[in-house]
Amino acid sequence: MSPNSREILAVSELPPEGAKLSRIWDWCVVAAVALLFMGAIHLHVMLTVGDWDMFIDWKDRQFWVLVTPVSMLMIPAALQAVFWHYFRLPIGMTLGAVLLLIATWITRYVGWHLWGYFPFTMGVPATMIAGALACDAILLIVRSSLLTSTFGGFVFALLFYPSNWASLAPYFIPIEHQGMVASVADMIGYVFPRSGTPEYIRMIERGTLRTYEGTTVWISSFFAGVICIFMHMLWWRIGLAFSTQRFVDSSKRFKKFVGLA
Amino acid sequence: MSTASVAIPVPRESSGADRKAGHYVRFNLFAFGVIVMVAMFGAFRMYQQVFAWEYGLDATAPEFETYWMTLVKIEIPVLFGLGFVCWGYLWLTRDRNMSALTPKVELQRYFSFTLWLVAYTFAIYFIGSFFAEGDGVWHQTVLRDTPFTPSHNVLFYACIPTYIFFSVGGFVYAITRLPAFSRGISVAHVLAVLGPVLILPNLGFNEWGHAYWLTEEIFSHPLHWGFVVLGWNALALPGVALQMIQRMVPLFHEVFGDMPAKPAD
Repeated sequence: MSPNSREILAVSELPPEGAKLSRIWDWCVVAAVALLFMGAIHLHVMLTVGDWDMFIDWKDRQFWVLVTPVSMLMIPAALQAVFWHYFRLPIGMTLGAVLLLIATWITRYVGWHLWGYFPFTMGVPATMIAGALACDAILLIVRSSLLTSTFGGFVFALLFYPSNWASLAPYFIPIEHQGMVASVADMIGYVFPRSGTPEYIRMIERGTLRTYEGTTVWISSFFAGVICIFMHMLWWRIGLAFSTQRFVDSSKRFKKFVGLA
Repeated sequence: MSTASVAIPVPRESSGADRKAGHYVRFNLFAFGVIVMVAMFGAFRMYQQVFAWEYGLDATAPEFETYWMTLVKIEIPVLFGLGFVCWGYLWLTRDRNMSALTPKVELQRYFSFTLWLVAYTFAIYFIGSFFAEGDGVWHQTVLRDTPFTPSHNVLFYACIPTYIFFSVGGFVYAITRLPAFSRGISVAHVLAVLGPVLILPNLGFNEWGHAYWLTEEIFSHPLHWGFVVLGWNALALPGVALQMIQRMVPLFHEVFGDMPAKPAD
């Protein structure tokens, strides 16, 4: 037995058999957390970010950069609160980000590619792992939910665009199409028909947005950062509120049913 | 059949089989449940692959009735029927003398309850992620004509009854076999069960909206946010885990160590 294992047993005040059983329970919890939050976070992001995450030609500089980090932060912030408040583990945001990406890629392949025959290039999902790591690291350093919301929430949103840049850059290359400027992502959208999602409902950049040129995306990121600060505060508290350990007294009649009266 | 416990003094020092992990955690039934779910969900996905494009495009076609409505007519009564049988069995075989429960049996039951919850989360993954985005695949590609489509017939009418089977089953198991969850009803557990269960009636709102508004298929449309809010209730399961930990820690010491467990609050 390693010194580390001996130390763990001493802290647990359990014999090896008890510690082994307790470890089995831990693994059950790991499996449950992974499955539960792959489902819950993916459902949440799918139905709030939706097309912005599903399609390459929806990844614009105005709304994709704004909507995606705000929505992707919510449940991971609640997870971060639970893991930190009860277990002092600064892993909640990163865990949420990783589980979401795994769940998303599974359906992008099994669903979109194999069933809908969509090309991979059409459905590249966004990742928030870099921002989530930074937010967890800030929590570890500052050890305060308020400061984590203030700095971590903001950094989470700010890192969203640059951390996705490497995988998306090829699709933002400008091309000329029928005399107009478009991007490679636009072209993929033009030539791959989605009969349930007509082209005209896609958000198109317009107005003065173009005149801001390269700064547009940073303005959107900063705005997302402002919202993420408050969203992190809110969801930290939602996470703690949902994980209530309150019991409401059962009726005497029910207790009698189970021999507790 | 009753599972009434008998008050037998528990020897603190025991070197028998009751100190082995296998005495407390039994994976047989759990493994069976997971294998059934893997087989069922795998079969559904293959069925979609083979018959959706061929016979699932037009709800008025006779082939649609044969291939897709037959599926609904089988899965709803079978899955809900199994649910009622299981929940009824759990209620009828409840512990009728829980005040005499021994720590070892109680610890055993906490592990069984844990496996109910793991099975529940397994089902949640398939509805929340795997088949839910499959629904997006289908409806962003093929316009819906009724609430019965190749993706809905699996997601709504098979996946939802499956996780209701495990969520309600776990709830009935807890309140009929674990003193802490019988003396008081766990608020977190109620949220974790009720939220996802209410997704079933929320289908009415969803389909009503799709029937009357031309939303096209924008997945982030507010029409879908009922599912989002109800899905947030998943956050209550950590509360259930914390309630379990509070009771399991003293039970571990009672069963394996020298520290006597206080009675459950």
